[in-house]
Amino acid sequence: MTASRPVRPAQRTKHIATALVVLVVAAAAFTVDVKIERLPDLPGALVRIFGRMFLEPAPEWSYLPEAFGSMMESIQIAWLGTIIGAVLSLPLGFFGAKNITSRLVSNIIRQLLNVIRAIPEILVAVVVFIPMVGLGAYPGMLAIGVHSIGTLGKLSAEVIEGIDPGPVEAARAAGGRPVQIQRWGVLPQVLPEIVAFWLYRFEINIRASAILGAVGAGGVGEALVQSLVFRRYDRAGMVVIVVIVVTILIDTASGWLRRRIIQGGGGAPHGADREQPELAEANAAAVQRP
Amino acid sequence: MTAATAPRSARPSRPPRSLVGPLALLVFAAITWWAASEEYGLNFDVPRLFSNLTRGAGILAEFWPPDFSVLPRTVAPLLETIQMAVIASVIGCAVALPVAFLASRVTSPNTLAYLLDRGILSVVRALPDVLYALIFVAALSIGPLPGILALILFNISVVAKLLSETVDGVDHGPIEAARATGANRLLTVRWAVLPQVLPNYVAYSLYAFELNVRASAVLGIVGAGGIGNLINETRRFFQYDKLMVVVLEILILVIIIEWVSIWLRRKLV
Repeated sequence: MTASRPVRPAQRTKHIATALVVLVVAAAAFTVDVKIERLPDLPGALVRIFGRMFLEPAPEWSYLPEAFGSMMESIQIAWLGTIIGAVLSLPLGFFGAKNITSRLVSNIIRQLLNVIRAIPEILVAVVVFIPMVGLGAYPGMLAIGVHSIGTLGKLSAEVIEGIDPGPVEAARAAGGRPVQIQRWGVLPQVLPEIVAFWLYRFEINIRASAILGAVGAGGVGEALVQSLVFRRYDRAGMVVIVVIVVTILIDTASGWLRRRIIQGGGGAPHGADREQPELAEANAAAVQRP
Repeated sequence: MTAATAPRSARPSRPPRSLVGPLALLVFAAITWWAASEEYGLNFDVPRLFSNLTRGAGILAEFWPPDFSVLPRTVAPLLETIQMAVIASVIGCAVALPVAFLASRVTSPNTLAYLLDRGILSVVRALPDVLYALIFVAALSIGPLPGILALILFNISVVAKLLSETVDGVDHGPIEAARATGANRLLTVRWAVLPQVLPNYVAYSLYAFELNVRASAVLGIVGAGGIGNLINETRRFFQYDKLMVVVLEILILVIIIEWVSIWLRRKLV
């Protein structure tokens, strides 16, 4: 009697899903309005513009102070926007955690956060805050603040759901009032991770605020738009260099700080998830249920 | 065993006070002051902010009710947005695969390739998608092509970074097994590493696709194709009731794509 092979699990839905993906990709590729005959010019056009930005003429160094100044404005927008988002998202994180409030309340809060997350900050700026407070740094900061609530609230709620219930029970047993239980039983457990998320959000928001200048909401994006509109590619090159260098510097500093915060002073190493909010965000998206 | 026999002291001694906490708070306060100050920063002023907001609240009333007469005109740009996201995701995620393997110490052939790949990746990551789109629009004129290119770069940077970190953490057993059979580097990656990270790769690609739909919706604001063009047009003429329709459509699109992506992830991974 020969041992039969284990039966291959049914993969019908997997095949259907794969076929669907292939179909959608093919449909998109064949119907998109890209002029195929222009594709051969593409590398030439890109080489030309990057050449004009960085080589001939060289980036205009006298524009450096101005480019740097507008980059600083972007950073300030991102910083204050992140603070707004952090302050508003923390209570929402508590209310959105199943183990703190009821299932019903947390579900409502989570859905609200999902809707906020779905609207890109540039859209929040264009639709809500530029009409309300006019052009400039203010609408950018507010848009970043509002959009940050979505992701920060969701991540905070997830961290809070993962706490050790021990300290909460201890605080309750000691006669703590509800707010005191949160303050002494929950907050100390989750704060390092949440602060790390805030820092990570700040890194993301620097990119977002750089973008917002393109719609007139202040910062380095405006400098790039102006340079390109007036065909000052040498200035555009300078702006790009400033954005890249400053962003990498801040990412490095903030990343180092986040690792320090999460690991504490030589505590037990955590999983990669905790050190990498981006990974956590992608993985959290993977397990999220609509 | 003196420690065990020594009489227990009533309280554990307090750990020495650390200066890190207060110092961090000080740095935080300093940066916040710098960002909010009138002289160096944005001149952040809460009362003025609230008066601005309450004064501007009337404008928001113009968004309602939405003017659905614009609906037929939004169909083609909305489809273009989806097309851009799909095409850019496929190309970007395909390119990201080898880039990710070069960016991990586990699979990179040598230190030079590793450092070079990581360096390029962090430079590409530092520039946001809309700034790429601005440059590509300047180079190629308006249309979906510059938008697709910007999204491709964005996808490569996101997926390659996430995947290279996953590759860093793979189980080394299969790699050693593959090496022991005499497999060269490429075969080792193909049969010992790729199967381990494939589910993550699919998940990250779908995640990038979701981000792409959001991004491609706004790329049109700078002339890079898709529904964003319409945002620009309606807001320039203060047609806020029409703009509201576009915003609602983007919101619905993003949420539907999120559901589809979650369903696909469950089926494919």
